[in-house]
Amino acid sequence: MRISRSPLRRGSLVRRGAVAALATSALLLSGCAGDDLAGDDSSGDSSEASGGGEVTIASQSFDEAALVTAMYQLLLEDAGYTVEVNLVDSRPAYLSQFPGSVDVVPEYAAGLADQLNTEINGEDAGQISTSDLDETLDAMAPLLEEKGITLLDASEAASQNAYFVTQDYADENDVTALSDLEGETITLAAAPDCTGRDDCLAGLTDVYGIDATLLPLGYASPQTYQAVIDGEAQLGQTGTLDGTLADQGLVLLDDDRGIQPAQNLVPAVSTEFLDAHEDVTEPLEELMASLDNETLGQLIARVSVDREAVEDVAQDYLTEAGLL
Amino acid sequence: MDLLSLTWDYLTTADSWTAPGGILERLVEQLLLTVTALVVACALALPAALWLGHLGRGGFLAINVSNVGRAVPTFALLALLVTAPWPGVSSFGPYGRAGLATLIALVLFALPPLITNAYTAVREVPADVREAADGMGMSGWQRFRRVELPLALPLVLSGVRLALVQIWATATIAALVAGPGMGRIVVDGFARDLYSQGVGAALVVALAALVLEVTAALVQRWADPVPREARTGG
Repeated sequence: MRISRSPLRRGSLVRRGAVAALATSALLLSGCAGDDLAGDDSSGDSSEASGGGEVTIASQSFDEAALVTAMYQLLLEDAGYTVEVNLVDSRPAYLSQFPGSVDVVPEYAAGLADQLNTEINGEDAGQISTSDLDETLDAMAPLLEEKGITLLDASEAASQNAYFVTQDYADENDVTALSDLEGETITLAAAPDCTGRDDCLAGLTDVYGIDATLLPLGYASPQTYQAVIDGEAQLGQTGTLDGTLADQGLVLLDDDRGIQPAQNLVPAVSTEFLDAHEDVTEPLEELMASLDNETLGQLIARVSVDREAVEDVAQDYLTEAGLL
Repeated sequence: MDLLSLTWDYLTTADSWTAPGGILERLVEQLLLTVTALVVACALALPAALWLGHLGRGGFLAINVSNVGRAVPTFALLALLVTAPWPGVSSFGPYGRAGLATLIALVLFALPPLITNAYTAVREVPADVREAADGMGMSGWQRFRRVELPLALPLVLSGVRLALVQIWATATIAALVAGPGMGRIVVDGFARDLYSQGVGAALVVALAALVLEVTAALVQRWADPVPREARTGG
């Protein structure tokens, strides 16, 4: 039985060729800088380290992560890099190679913090993230240093878990926020990792006092929507950036007691790579500053609802925002 | 701590076994699924395959039709069944959510080894033995019942044994549609970064498969009409 797939998505040969040409010309332009590609002359002034060379981005394969990854790819290609993108199903699949064979990862602050904490301090280490971004960043600082990862400035856009019901259910039971479900016995269609998580089953049970049973159908998966629409489950799990709910007659409930950790978008870069290639900082931080929940939600809906290619949507947005 | 000792801890903690949704509950579900699927598959496959073997006809068709079952990925079939209007994900008694869909997928999965082995077993009864039976004046039914079937039994049972272990190991895919069985613990473990749980449950599935295999082998030996010593001439 196969648990996870590791689809490998790469740019077309044509584009890769073009990028190689771009990279070559960038190298020629910056040729005087010498052996910056080797990246180990850190004794010198590396702040002038220039674009060019190869960079590997790894990320998760769901639409939202794939879209943000495509933006990273275009920006870095624009900066003269040859970019290889690996999209996989879950974070542990690339985290073992990062830093190392993976250089840049479009991450989420709290998710990365907790994953690193589990990886370094053991399965029972629990969660170090909170709903406050700065607290979360501080909490994971020593872990990042140990791993050799540097975070660039985070975005205000945050991809957090959110929970929906059908519009009918909301109307009949007069429910607009999760706290309105206190004391109810419900079935929750959500990702299998929901059990025991403070932003999912544990939070809903302990903070909101909801007696929820998990149906592990996946995060914002077609099965999860269907289960809620069919009434097999009352509550379904999706994200704050879900632009597909209204069309399906579904409505988000307000997280009025704040169980969601600070899942702000943040570029995670291998410290070693960053020392040698500081020019990746500016475009990625500009991207982070330009994104917010509403913008990103609309862009994601173009991918997940209108089935546009992530590369096209990313290209459109970056051009409109003047980032390319 | 390394994964091995974490896995050992997981497997030696009573709570892992007895908690709601723990190993014992899921083992029973999976055993129930496996046995039911095997019994249904046997009831569908064996009478037809054995009789076709006796007639010596139609086996080519039967084997090839059932072999289509080998070519279709069981998970694809399961995914198709749960999205169809029927059986969908409806709960089915003790088999739980998507129980009926899982059973159908597993039954279809078990048909090829059963049909192929049963047909071949009867077909391969030596021609001189058949002729001797005919010469003694046995009717077709008598020949089937008293000569062919006993001689075919070991091979038929090896098909059943094969199907049993295959169903058991494959039943874990029910977890991918949030169905019953041990797969739930494996998927849950990997989804929550509790590798010890995923690996531990997978080990339990593998061990149980061995136990089933050995048990089935003993039953098969017990049912063999020609004792082992006689066959090897010892």
